[in-house]
Amino acid sequence: MREGHDPIELAVFKSALHSVAEEMGAALRRTAFSPNIKERRDYSSAVFDGSGQVIAMGDDMPVHLGSMPMSVQAILGKLQLERGDVAILNDPYDGGTHLPDITLAMPVFVGENSTASFYAANRAHHADVGGMYPGSMGLCREIWQEGIRIPPVKLVAGGSVNRAVLDLILNNVRTPREREGDLTAQIGACRIGVQRVTELVEKYGLERVTKNVTALLDHSEELMRVELERLPEGQFEAEDFLDNDGITDDRVGIRVRVTTSPKLRQATVDFSASDEQISGSLNAVLAITYSAVFYVLRCLLPEEAAPTAGLMRPVKVITRPETVVDARPPAAVAGGNVETSQRIVDVLLRAFAQVLPDRIPAASSGTMSNLTVGGIDPRTGQPYAYYETIAGGSGGRANGPGVSGVHTHMTNSLNTPVEALEYAYPFRVRQYVYRKHSGGAGKYPGGDGLVREIELLAPAQVTILSDRRIFPPYGLQGGAEGAKGRNTITENGRLRELPGKCNIHAGAGAVVRIETPGGGGWGRV
Amino acid sequence: MRIAIDTGGTFTDCVYEDRGRLQVLKIPSTPADPGEAVLRAVEQIAGEQAAEVRHGTTVGTNALLERKGARVAFVTTAGFEDTIAIGRQARPRLYDLFFTKEPPLASEELRFGVKERTACDGSIVEEAAEGDLAQLKRRVAAAGPEAIAVSLLFSFANPANERAVVDALRDLGVPVSASHEILPEFREYERGSTVLINAYLAPKMQRYLERLNRACEAQRSTLHVMQSSGGIVPAAVAAREPVRTILSGPAGGVVGAIAVAKAAGFERILTFDMGGTSTDVALVNSAAGLRTTKESQILGMPVAVPMLDIHTVGAGGGSLASFDRGGALKVGPESAGADPGPICYGQGEHPTVTDANLLLGRLEAEWFLGGGMKLDESRTHERFAEAKGTLASVEAFAEGIVRLADSHIEKALRRISVEQGYDPRDFVLVSFGGAGPVHACALARALRIPVVMVPRSPGALSAYGILVSDVVRDFSRTVMLRPDNPALAEHLTRLEAAGTRAMEAEGLRSVAQRSVDLRYAGQGFELPVEWSADFVEQFHRLHEQRYGYADRERPVEVVNVRVRMVARTRFLPNELSQPGDGNPSRAFLRTKPIFCDGQWQNGAVYDRSRLQTGDRFSGPAVVVEYSATTFVPPEGQVSVDRHGNLIIEVGA
Repeated sequence: MREGHDPIELAVFKSALHSVAEEMGAALRRTAFSPNIKERRDYSSAVFDGSGQVIAMGDDMPVHLGSMPMSVQAILGKLQLERGDVAILNDPYDGGTHLPDITLAMPVFVGENSTASFYAANRAHHADVGGMYPGSMGLCREIWQEGIRIPPVKLVAGGSVNRAVLDLILNNVRTPREREGDLTAQIGACRIGVQRVTELVEKYGLERVTKNVTALLDHSEELMRVELERLPEGQFEAEDFLDNDGITDDRVGIRVRVTTSPKLRQATVDFSASDEQISGSLNAVLAITYSAVFYVLRCLLPEEAAPTAGLMRPVKVITRPETVVDARPPAAVAGGNVETSQRIVDVLLRAFAQVLPDRIPAASSGTMSNLTVGGIDPRTGQPYAYYETIAGGSGGRANGPGVSGVHTHMTNSLNTPVEALEYAYPFRVRQYVYRKHSGGAGKYPGGDGLVREIELLAPAQVTILSDRRIFPPYGLQGGAEGAKGRNTITENGRLRELPGKCNIHAGAGAVVRIETPGGGGWGRV
Repeated sequence: MRIAIDTGGTFTDCVYEDRGRLQVLKIPSTPADPGEAVLRAVEQIAGEQAAEVRHGTTVGTNALLERKGARVAFVTTAGFEDTIAIGRQARPRLYDLFFTKEPPLASEELRFGVKERTACDGSIVEEAAEGDLAQLKRRVAAAGPEAIAVSLLFSFANPANERAVVDALRDLGVPVSASHEILPEFREYERGSTVLINAYLAPKMQRYLERLNRACEAQRSTLHVMQSSGGIVPAAVAAREPVRTILSGPAGGVVGAIAVAKAAGFERILTFDMGGTSTDVALVNSAAGLRTTKESQILGMPVAVPMLDIHTVGAGGGSLASFDRGGALKVGPESAGADPGPICYGQGEHPTVTDANLLLGRLEAEWFLGGGMKLDESRTHERFAEAKGTLASVEAFAEGIVRLADSHIEKALRRISVEQGYDPRDFVLVSFGGAGPVHACALARALRIPVVMVPRSPGALSAYGILVSDVVRDFSRTVMLRPDNPALAEHLTRLEAAGTRAMEAEGLRSVAQRSVDLRYAGQGFELPVEWSADFVEQFHRLHEQRYGYADRERPVEVVNVRVRMVARTRFLPNELSQPGDGNPSRAFLRTKPIFCDGQWQNGAVYDRSRLQTGDRFSGPAVVVEYSATTFVPPEGQVSVDRHGNLIIEVGA
């Protein structure tokens, strides 16, 4: 606690600002068009101070946590926002993460002030942003194949939508009506955020709000520093691999060196030794890597720690450009968000496990096992596209076994009920169970993965983007590895193994089976 | 004679009608066997008379929360045995590497699969073979269950396969809950969880209710039980479908709040029920009837039968206050509970919200529980002085605790109002529960709610709600049809016929309310609308109000059809209060310092039992009564209405 901060005011403002972010999220969920935002809740909301530091975030998607601030920074660097403006962007190389994630930000002006005092922003995953494949999540080699790239521009100027910008975007996507609906919802959510922050300023006065925002950032910083002070001094290295990039068979190494300085109460996280950027779409931009670091450190803090920019003040993240953890144009990046982000977390946890053996679980499944199926539904004659991520096992940890069949780390999206799936698509789900004995053995075994088996009742295009099919989730403190994932297809009675990343055509009656990895075990048996 | 009996943790509250007048009785609860207090109350109130007994019970809730229900076998389609454990594959806390999930009520060795399949259109893809059923029966019997839950895929579309399985298991001699009977709606996890909870509670609730029912019948009395939906059902139905009663008590509170608010002329209300460990809030427009949801969860497990839409937050009078490692104050969700309780009760060591209220002069040390319990002010002051950290004074610490508790509750109230598209300024805050009326005015001001209402006997409001609620039974089925499909009306007619038969079997004359759940084709959620000639247009309008847009070009589908059978209860107005002369001095107890807005101010203490209709006074003031204390801040203007309710204009 620094001098002059009032512990009560601090707590009340923390709660009030969090409430603003949550209200923005609720408005977005309520008004969005697409199931991915409404149902799977693939969005985030946040409030920033005038210099673009995040001061509150909703309890949304962890992968957005550390990367949202870069969007606002990019906007501040490029645009001069006036009252009633809303900025938009999705370019991973200019404040974004991957193209489907579109971020909007709106300034809060107080009284006659000419500079913005706060910003309200939100990010949502759009179901399609153009490019080679429906859903914009396929196996591409360059960013231009992945969809439309939007640099920071004003989508709304002085309160009116800039129709030219909107039309340019809508002309480049497969489902323009749905996109327009979702973007409108994002604009509405920004306005609600701005209104609620304005109300806070009216109630307490700008000076008092600003003072408490400073206190809140300092408080987050202090919580992190207290934690860093407890770590032993030293350097801890770890590495792990992505199976391949989906184009070549080469494994992709991610390496980290964590340097702790408890006396200075700070730490450095250095990914420079990671592999060069790759041909496929699993490259992560710096924002993703930063997000993964933010996530892991946030997990080391108590539940009530507010995820503000203050948390990262004592932490330095170092990367080398043109590597898989700091991709540069024209690398394709769609999968960096969903797959590489998980591996970066695995590597970081592995490093921290050397210093905090009791506080770090063994590796979780480490992949989102993305499954996309598209075709024509014979019942209606209409095209359909199904997308889902399939959970795996979480790693064993010092308090007990891992959890089976659960989303971990950078995602937390829901599954689709079997009965909903069969109403919506020409499928018959044949099995949805735990994948027995897939969790690694140990004093506390890893959680089991899942088996999802889907029979296609009509011919379809199947795309799988999954990892941990070659390199299994690691065990810790003597625990065994979790089982690798496995993808197969059975056609005309013949079972065939599928690679971790593939795009195939399958006939009616084909059965696609995804077995997700189990978590690693913790401790010797 | 009609009697409502609501079992609480400490007291069993009773409200009954005696020669046209309402009476209140409180007797100590008997937690080891809650039925003992219920029967004692019936005996004390009715004696030898026959009575219509209505009961709000926590037997089901507690069995579930303490996981002390039956050993249940869960039977489903082969290949889906783990559905009930996997749930929706999400974790409960985002940034906790040590998160755990509540284990399912049926462990792995109690989950069984049957080789069979029904398709989504109701066609049977595969029947269960005779041999498989016989084998299933042997396997289930060998596991020794005390109850069985059966929920096969798509059994709501065609229950034939599920019936065959139920028939095969029937003569094992334990209660069988079948999904096509309990909840014939789609989404296998939510339905399975609901049926499993039903089976888990069935043996215990059957024993409990049968015993009470026998005792009642012996006196020619009848027994009804409050459901979470806000309606009551005969005990026999509750024993068969106990999953419908798990929020019996809180539902009574909301129904009671609606009734007293309506009598006082308020239709749009926010209910605020604050107890020792948690706070329940709900938003109601009584003109539009009870608003239920089928998305409730208990211990993270979905309960998809209709329940009143009540939002709970972990802040109550017993919530503990402390400083985190970064030096910020936090309040709750940990609670001092009943044992050790707050510092001022004499045993607790750590500051709670109740302690803070006492130190600020907002509770009366001598008048707690009608003087039945003396609060220890000096002990509380000492502990606060030790725990206040860098704060300047004990008062600043106490005020901070109250502000923070209020901010948690404010968030919950915002969630059910602002976030759903409602403006709190259009509502009245109806406050009850032991701790509610102390906090109500500050909360109302924060949300700009102009008026707070504190009903008479706020501690017995739940029992009053049970006394006045209607007999209600809900019937539903997933149909997944386009709105112009003529089969729709047939489904509703069939449901209504079944509902009417069920009500007639209880000797009740009822009216049917038809509704349908609609969504835009391809959406993953649905909205309920009343069945009418223009129900599709009603859906577009509701969608627009709730979600900000409607798309009349887009195809719509009917997911579920619903029929709610209602047998009205003769309304009993909360007794009228005696008119007074407007001068509250007859109720005046003393003057005392109350800490408001950062300083000590002189305030009045009033005895609620001596206030009369028409009395008016302003804050700062404290109104004491047996089960609750009301704090009126300096800006508050109080008047007593003709029912004895406190109506407080908070100056928002």
